[in-house]
Amino acid sequence: MIDGYKRLMNIEKPPTPKTAKGFFTDTSLCIGCKACEVACKQWNQLPADGFAMTGNSYDNTGTLGATTWRHVQFIEQAKANGQGQEQRWLMMSDVCKHCANAACLEACPTGALVRTEYGTVYVQQDICNGCGFCVPACPFGVIDRTPKHGHFEAGTAHKCTLCYDRLKDDMTPACAKSCPTASIQFGDVEELRTRARRRLGELQARGESKARLYGMPEGREAEEVGPLHAFFLLLDEPERYNLPAVPRLPRKTMAQRYGWSAAVGVGFALVGALVFGGRR
Amino acid sequence: MDAANFPRQGGGDGGYYNYPVVRRPVWTWEVPAYFWLGGMAAGAYVTAALAQNFGSADDRRVAAGGYYVAAAALVPCAPLLIADLGRPDRFYHMLRIFKPLSPMNLGAWTLTALTPIAFARAASHAASTGLLRGPLGTLARLVPTRLAELAGVVLGLTLAGYSGVLLAATNIPLWAKSKLLGGLFMASGLASGSAAVTLQAAWRGAPDGSLHRLAMVESAASAGEMAILTGYLLQSGKTARPLTSGRLRAPFWLGAVGAGTLLPLLVHRMAGRRQGRPLRILSSAAALCTIAGSLALRWTIFEAGKVSSEDQAASFELSSE
Repeated sequence: MIDGYKRLMNIEKPPTPKTAKGFFTDTSLCIGCKACEVACKQWNQLPADGFAMTGNSYDNTGTLGATTWRHVQFIEQAKANGQGQEQRWLMMSDVCKHCANAACLEACPTGALVRTEYGTVYVQQDICNGCGFCVPACPFGVIDRTPKHGHFEAGTAHKCTLCYDRLKDDMTPACAKSCPTASIQFGDVEELRTRARRRLGELQARGESKARLYGMPEGREAEEVGPLHAFFLLLDEPERYNLPAVPRLPRKTMAQRYGWSAAVGVGFALVGALVFGGRR
Repeated sequence: MDAANFPRQGGGDGGYYNYPVVRRPVWTWEVPAYFWLGGMAAGAYVTAALAQNFGSADDRRVAAGGYYVAAAALVPCAPLLIADLGRPDRFYHMLRIFKPLSPMNLGAWTLTALTPIAFARAASHAASTGLLRGPLGTLARLVPTRLAELAGVVLGLTLAGYSGVLLAATNIPLWAKSKLLGGLFMASGLASGSAAVTLQAAWRGAPDGSLHRLAMVESAASAGEMAILTGYLLQSGKTARPLTSGRLRAPFWLGAVGAGTLLPLLVHRMAGRRQGRPLRILSSAAALCTIAGSLALRWTIFEAGKVSSEDQAASFELSSE
């Protein structure tokens, strides 16, 4: 009977785990060419989002979304120095972080969101029923649901798959493949972390005192969501890139929230029993 | 040259332009409507079961109508939930796995289990009063009432309590900052459920004693709701602004707080020494206010959450404490 149920509900045995794969996005190398955005859209056959000008530097993408899985940010900074103004332009290709403890995956009531054999987080399109719970659960604002009556995979949740289909064929994800400056590096997470630490040392030695890694196991940002499989080298505070200092995992406070709820329920039952039982 | 210490962009909250950190919830009106009805159904069932097991003969007779209220309020719940899905045709995927870690999954199972129990208990009552006859009546008499009451109370409290936890188990500042949203929705559900029992009791001409006791139970829930709401607003602080001072301030303060808790508490107090018809009218009025206020509470908190999702500063505050 259980076997029949599993067949009916498409419940399969997960594949054997492999070496964890991920991205190391080194923002100090990004030149803002948006090749990653284009390559991602092409490979994953994602529709265009329209031609809206935001007025925010060269960023006309705005945010990640259901049909935008790479997003290049352009941060313009200026400060006064002796001769006038000193300016710098920070660029960063944002993407799903593939958290070790993923809020979207934990929220998912259908099991559509799974952890793949590569340690990444993936939405099974044939399972997702579009309940929308993963959308506000993600602390990074990554995953989103496509419009219910749209033309592209209507009504289900979408985000970066870390090119699961390409990984299956031992290929590099489209964005990393297309990146001309190796700002987006793909590989085994462990190896990428070693590379990231070395690169951070180099930059700090050059005087980039605010450079930091975001998403490493030892970082504050890993307190709740765990290390990120897609992590970053940033040149300023995480908030400047709209990244939360400590992304929250809803599970961590859930017991306390249920506790208050249960206390109210039990309190009501006691009052009810006393009022009805204490009749004259 | 020190590359550090560039001032924050635009001098604002220091985020990336004014883009939100989290995404706006995609849910529509079906969700607060379901939370309201589900909470009311649960509250009515629990009130009826309490009266059944601890009350006088009058209480038992009068409150048993609560089983009808619960069953009726549960009818639209599943359709509302299904209508809100992006792919309603795949609604049964909710029951594909059992994953109580996800409040959404827990809620789907709870609703699936509670609905038949509430119907069975209502049918059993209908059979005992002679309303339900024939083979269906005979079948309904076989329902183990005590077991249905116990299971229904546990499932009902879960149904009334999980909805607030579901909203809170996100990264929307207004929903997640305070730990009390689950308790608040629980209190509101129990208040509206007991109010629905009072309402039907008053309409059916219940004895004064039973009405007074029902009013007391309802007032306890309303008072609890007010206390928790105060705690919720204090804990939320500035994060609660979309609720308390945005465009939702009128339905929140007048509807959810005024009509939903203050007014019923006052009216029930006024009705406390009255008897007969004036008592029934006042009780009904208070109960209607509680029920309407409960809807206002769910709707305003739900809508304010969407506004809150765009509040970059509140998101950073949530992630830095």
